Amino acid sequence: MSDKLEAYLEEISHFLSGRAEREEILSEIRSHILEKAAEGPGEFTDAAVEKAIAAFGPARKVAEKYLDDRPIIAPAYKRYLFRYTTLLFALHSFLTVFAVVFKKDFILFPLVFMPRLGVIEALMYLPTAFLADLGIVTVVLYFITQSGKDVKLPWPKFAVDLDEVKPPTKSFWLSRIATAVGAVIMLAITDFALFLFAKHHTIFFVNLNWNDPRPLFTPDAGRRLSMIVIAMLATSTMALLAKLLTRSLLVDVVSNVISLALIGLLLRQPLDNLFAVESAERILPKIKFGIKFTLLFIALMITIDLIKNLVVLGRRKLAA
Amino acid sequence: MTDPDIGSLETEMNRGFLHILALALLEKDMYGYAMVKHIEGLGYKVEENTLYPLLRRLEKNGWITSKWDMTEDRPRKFYAITAEGRALRGSLLEVWKNQNRILDEITKENSNV
Repeated sequence: MSDKLEAYLEEISHFLSGRAEREEILSEIRSHILEKAAEGPGEFTDAAVEKAIAAFGPARKVAEKYLDDRPIIAPAYKRYLFRYTTLLFALHSFLTVFAVVFKKDFILFPLVFMPRLGVIEALMYLPTAFLADLGIVTVVLYFITQSGKDVKLPWPKFAVDLDEVKPPTKSFWLSRIATAVGAVIMLAITDFALFLFAKHHTIFFVNLNWNDPRPLFTPDAGRRLSMIVIAMLATSTMALLAKLLTRSLLVDVVSNVISLALIGLLLRQPLDNLFAVESAERILPKIKFGIKFTLLFIALMITIDLIKNLVVLGRRKLAA
Repeated sequence: MTDPDIGSLETEMNRGFLHILALALLEKDMYGYAMVKHIEGLGYKVEENTLYPLLRRLEKNGWITSKWDMTEDRPRKFYAITAEGRALRGSLLEVWKNQNRILDEITKENSNV
């Protein structure tokens, strides 16, 4: 028997692996090709077998005709992939912030093990967490799809807006003008901060007497904190300027990530020996708490915005 | 204006037609290759790699049965319609006739406009 035919059947067999009726299918195809090859004019030749194989089609295409058309995730559940991943990642992000702030590891068996994390480690951990969340949701939706049951998946109403891809409501020019005004204001604030930093090595002052300004923080702490805040202002300014050129949400995503990294750096700064003003030391514990709380609140808002942007980007990719 | 590409639409239409065609042909026991040749002889081309998976689905649903014949030089798998298959064929032909009637009437209406 033709080696070509056996090689062809072997290839189809490879794509049909796991099917109980594989041997039966291969026998059907073998029978058909041999019938066709024997029918042509002249003797039964390898060339005739090759011609019959070519007419039957490529092995993968043939195998696919025998496989069920059932998708990995049913179209009705596709939107839940991003919806549930968003929720799970939001929970994961919250727990990560919790682990960073309270400097503890904890377990929600069997779903989550959160090791004690520093800010930088947490920022490194979040992309992995996102992929893990995406994987978990994919597996669940896969099993629901394969079960073939009409499962009504819940989704809270308050979150509906989160994944809707809405067309821009503002007119093109109105939106550009608003962005341009914002960019000019942010540019002025950043320049002013840079001017103060160049002159006084800090941007934080107790009073507004320009002839004799009194710094709020000690020189070293003031310099470090000022540089980070100026970097945050510059990031916002650059994002607004970039938005004048493109409407891509990637600008927001990059801006969100840089801002989160800078807030992480701020949170890493030691709060002891921070203030240059003596009276402030008395209420230092409250101020420390206030600073941490405020920074974490800002980080949470940026994280929500980041997740929202990622979801909208994902939905646009799916809709494209 | 160029002729529209009907390739994918034709494939969709053929899917249903092939079911009726196979059930109609199998009033007499036939093997796969003979079915392909017979259909070609009637002026219609069926993709060879489409027919066998279709026959397998029909068999899985109990509308046809199959049996290997080992008496010839080459083994051949013969297919035969079942009573359930005949009932299904009758119903599908009714649907198809009704669809044809509707299209005919609309075509007539259009020609009178």
